[in-house]
Amino acid sequence: MKISDIILLAFNNLKRNTFRTVLTMLGVAVGIGTLSSMVSLGRGVSQNISSQMSRNDLFTGLTISSRDFGFDSSPQSSRLLTTERQVVPLTDSTIYDLEQKDEVAVVFPELIKPAVIVFKGRSVNANIKAVPVKMGGFYPFDNIKLGEFYSSESEPCVVLSKNVLNRMGIYTDKVSSEDPSSVLMPVDSVIGADIEIITKIFDIDKIDLITSSKKQLPLKNDTTILRVKGIVETNSFSAGIFSDGIFLPTKTCEYIPCIDLQNVYDIINGNSGKYGKYNSLHVRVKEHSMLKKVKNEAEADGFQVFSIGDKLDDFERVFFMLDSILAAVGIIALVLSVFGIVNTLLMAIYERRKEIGIMKSLGATSSQVKLIFYFEAAMIGFAGGLIGVLCGKIASAASSRIANSQLENFIDSNIEYFTYSWEIVLLSVLFSVVVSIAASIYPAGKASKIDPLNALRRE
Amino acid sequence: MALIEVNNLSKTYKKGDNVIYALRNINFDIQEGEYVSIVGKSGSGKSTLLNLLGGMDTSATGGVYYNGKNLLEMTEKELSYHRKFTVGMIFQSFNLIPTRTAIDNVKLPLIFSNYPVRLRETRACELLYNMGLYNRALHYPSELSGGEAQRVAIARALANKPKVILADEPTGNLDTATSSEIISLLQMFNKKHNITVIMVTHDKETANRVSDKTVLLSDGEIIKTTVNQKK
Ligand SMILES: Nc1ncnc2c1ncn2[C@@H]1O[C@H](COP(=O)(O)OP(=O)(O)O)[C@@H](O)[C@H]1O
Ligand SMILES: [Mg+2]
Repeated sequence: MKISDIILLAFNNLKRNTFRTVLTMLGVAVGIGTLSSMVSLGRGVSQNISSQMSRNDLFTGLTISSRDFGFDSSPQSSRLLTTERQVVPLTDSTIYDLEQKDEVAVVFPELIKPAVIVFKGRSVNANIKAVPVKMGGFYPFDNIKLGEFYSSESEPCVVLSKNVLNRMGIYTDKVSSEDPSSVLMPVDSVIGADIEIITKIFDIDKIDLITSSKKQLPLKNDTTILRVKGIVETNSFSAGIFSDGIFLPTKTCEYIPCIDLQNVYDIINGNSGKYGKYNSLHVRVKEHSMLKKVKNEAEADGFQVFSIGDKLDDFERVFFMLDSILAAVGIIALVLSVFGIVNTLLMAIYERRKEIGIMKSLGATSSQVKLIFYFEAAMIGFAGGLIGVLCGKIASAASSRIANSQLENFIDSNIEYFTYSWEIVLLSVLFSVVVSIAASIYPAGKASKIDPLNALRRE
Repeated sequence: MALIEVNNLSKTYKKGDNVIYALRNINFDIQEGEYVSIVGKSGSGKSTLLNLLGGMDTSATGGVYYNGKNLLEMTEKELSYHRKFTVGMIFQSFNLIPTRTAIDNVKLPLIFSNYPVRLRETRACELLYNMGLYNRALHYPSELSGGEAQRVAIARALANKPKVILADEPTGNLDTATSSEIISLLQMFNKKHNITVIMVTHDKETANRVSDKTVLLSDGEIIKTTVNQKK
């Protein structure tokens, strides 16, 4: 018996009761459609949302320092703590070593200077932060929608955080209702405009070594004028380092003069030079799962490490639970459609008892009879699976769109909640065929055991 | 050596404590090319015997030997081979598949025997032509007369070129004229193609006229074997 024969026989048998065949197929379609939608929803949610999140600094970022992160950061307590342990300085070779790790995506020293920003006649206090060009590939700088990220370490420009703009009362989309002084400015008038950065530097003239009775600090302003190149926005999954402030290319930031208060404390405490060239390093790991390892290694090397992400392992467990629940729903739907197949085939056996008897009397073997039933089931499974998966794909695309329009105020919109890849489509159809064949094992076995003598005996 | 040897063949049906002997100690030989008729009253065990010869039933004691091989000891595979290639069965009620056309019914055994696909059409047409049914090829069984249906069944039984035709009251549902048509066809295949025919009938006259040997069954026992010389 050739495959083409079996397919033809099976097809003719299915055609004989088109209505029942179609109903059974729809049953399979519902089962497979549900299962594949649930699986792709589970995968979509955990992959896309967690990838959205894990691209963020919150889940992949850590800060490495030689100093303690005493949140009570008075110089004294920091001195007491640091004298208790060996201080490992942060140097260029520390950066190099970190960059060599497979898990590490990017490392750069944190250079932060306090400043007053003047822009369009409005001013605000903000930190200016050095962010190297290579961060253009990482969140949030990989997704600058207004303007663009800079491309050279010495470009005389800045990228503003949206927060800083808003704090100055400048909005590019809609005016804040809480801040009456806020103004709406078109993006074009912000991008390319000059921004003044005012920093404090020592004023030798004001230093009075003899009588320090003057209530004036020996400081004066220094003004740097740079161009606004882009506006960066972070979402609610951000740890916050890039949520506020203004970001400059490394060299540009270094050129801006500013007193280093940390340095002053180090001089006072006699710790000058002890901590190495850098105060702290910002490290991005490639995936959230690698965060703990890198953190542990850095701690073992004697550094102080700070990250929030390593405390957020639970969200993966939540996704796993979500996946399991969704899969269970899908499997229940599938089990029901399997019953449909079994029922259809068992009914077919009773109807075709005599025919099977005839076929056996003509020399059909039990396995040939089984094969016909397997193929009938496989064809139901194939057609039903295909219908189901295609309907599922369409329905899930629609619900993804609805969900996005409902949630756009909370998280980045345009998340694909369903990863309905062609791979899933293919696998679902294949799975449908396999499950259908499995469902036909019992009926086919029953059919193949029909005794021709019994079947042909006239009632 | 005889083509078929039946040795001490007995078959019983148990109904509660009752044991019914459908066949009791049957012994006979059939030579290749013989035309054998089995006659007897209703319930005498004719169909039971024919089904054992056709490999449709193996639950009996004794032996049914084809070329020295006992059907009663064959595996499932060997039995289906026997049904496919050694014997062709014809029934009183034709047993055509109602959802397949005449030609598709004839093609069915060719499917199970892996007959080359491109030759099937030719083979089926040739068989139907020989039965005088060329213009009925695309008819469904319900559109055929009894005689035509039985001729389709004969064509189907001959599809895989069996050595033996087993016919269980092939004319039981047919009128006299059509019956003799069917009998002539069987005679023709027996003579021209040297096909062994074993036919169950309760028409003793026809049996004696057409067959080489008539076996008379009664209550599961052979009570008489007549050799018909005049043929
Ligand atoms: N499946 C069965 N169960 C019980 N008894 C049966 C069965 N089939 C046949 N018999 C009995 O076996 C005997 C022979 O039957 P059968 O071979 O059909 O007779 P025939 O074909 O000569 O009319 C009868 O007495 C019949 O009642
Ligand atoms: Mg009978």
